[in-house]
Amino acid sequence: MIYYLLWPFLSILLIVLQNTVADVIFSGQLVLEISIILVIYAGFRFNLIKGVISAFILGFVFDCIAGSVLGLFTLIYVLVFLFSFFVSARLVTERMHFIALFTLICVFLEEFTVVLFYNLAYGFDILYNRPAVFLLQALIVGLLAPVFFYMMRRVEVFFYGKPAQSAERTGTGRIPAET
Amino acid sequence: MFFFRNYKTIIFIVILLAAILIVLSYNLKQKSPAWLIKKVVLEVAAPVQNILNASVKSVSDAWSRYLFLVGIEEENKNLKKKIDDLKAQLILYQEGYLEAERLRNLLALKDDYNFKFVTACVIGREQVALSKTVVINKGTAHGLNAGMPVLAGSGLVGRVIDVSWHAAKILLLIDESSNIDAIVQRNRTQGIIRGAGSQGYVLKYISKTQDVEEGDVIISSGIGGVFPKGMMIGQVSRIDKQEAGLFLKINVVPSVDFSKLEEVLVLIPDNDEDEGE
Repeated sequence: MIYYLLWPFLSILLIVLQNTVADVIFSGQLVLEISIILVIYAGFRFNLIKGVISAFILGFVFDCIAGSVLGLFTLIYVLVFLFSFFVSARLVTERMHFIALFTLICVFLEEFTVVLFYNLAYGFDILYNRPAVFLLQALIVGLLAPVFFYMMRRVEVFFYGKPAQSAERTGTGRIPAET
Repeated sequence: MFFFRNYKTIIFIVILLAAILIVLSYNLKQKSPAWLIKKVVLEVAAPVQNILNASVKSVSDAWSRYLFLVGIEEENKNLKKKIDDLKAQLILYQEGYLEAERLRNLLALKDDYNFKFVTACVIGREQVALSKTVVINKGTAHGLNAGMPVLAGSGLVGRVIDVSWHAAKILLLIDESSNIDAIVQRNRTQGIIRGAGSQGYVLKYISKTQDVEEGDVIISSGIGGVFPKGMMIGQVSRIDKQEAGLFLKINVVPSVDFSKLEEVLVLIPDNDEDEGE
């Protein structure tokens, strides 16, 4: 319960922090989207209900603080979580190169969805503007993902004495949904 | 699916996704409805942004001050020369202004700018991949409301889209979803300025027969009622006449450097004057 009470505040802190850091380092040209790595991490480690709620809150906070259309990133984050959860139940998700590649794919999918949305909703082709920026952004986030997972594993070991098990390691091939 | 053994979970996720889609489509129609939850999130985020922004600014200021000490004498000389030039220019403009004032009085034109200004500091830049917004440290407690125009020293910045009690979110004009009616100052040709992200703006719906040149100043037309007439938007940087279709493709450089926004002015309609009349 404490987790659900604290999570919105932590989400706000994360979103503000990632935007400030990105603004300082890249002058607002690139986004350091740690939040999507967190959503993927939740997909690999959390149970379904907890993960969906976490992704929903994180996406909603992102929309409120940084987005111009409420609901867009909320939808994307929940879908990215479900995709990660589904993949983690079927594939080995412990390897660093897999994490990097999977994050890269997810960021590409996210960017594609946003581009498609803006195209359909506003009729504006934003891809001609900066395909290189999108690519670079996805690469940076993809490279940061293994570092983030490594750090989180350290945190898990520090708190629980062992790393949390992902879906395919539970033996049953799934994470219990109602824990 | 094997992990969806529990139907409650499926129902919960389906309801959640449906709710998000409803919110998304409603938000598309309403263009930023004022929801309490958004206000609360903005209100909680504002102090965090304030603290982070202040710490980052203090570090970068210290660094900049150190760097600027190098060669400051040369810069000082150049600036003094520039001040002299600008003073001469200012006298010319003052003459022009006084002349315009006299003419306005003669024609008994009413001043349309019934606005009060509220100065606000930018406490967060949320220029994510596609949405370009900034957060400022003033809200409804200072008289701000959604839809109010926002200026910086050198021109239009955007409009307020979300307001909490002590913070507000500004949708910048460079955001792809931002549209504003504009005119070319030189020949009063009318078009629509649309945000184009890092490329600035695009001036749309200008017919190929119209006379628009590079360097032309673009100002707000006042049509639509959100932005007052005559506010500086930017300058034409590139005109593409070769493109197929009826209209020119015109790129416009913003008059405001959005990456360096620190203080902005929010224009609040001055209702007292209207009430008095």
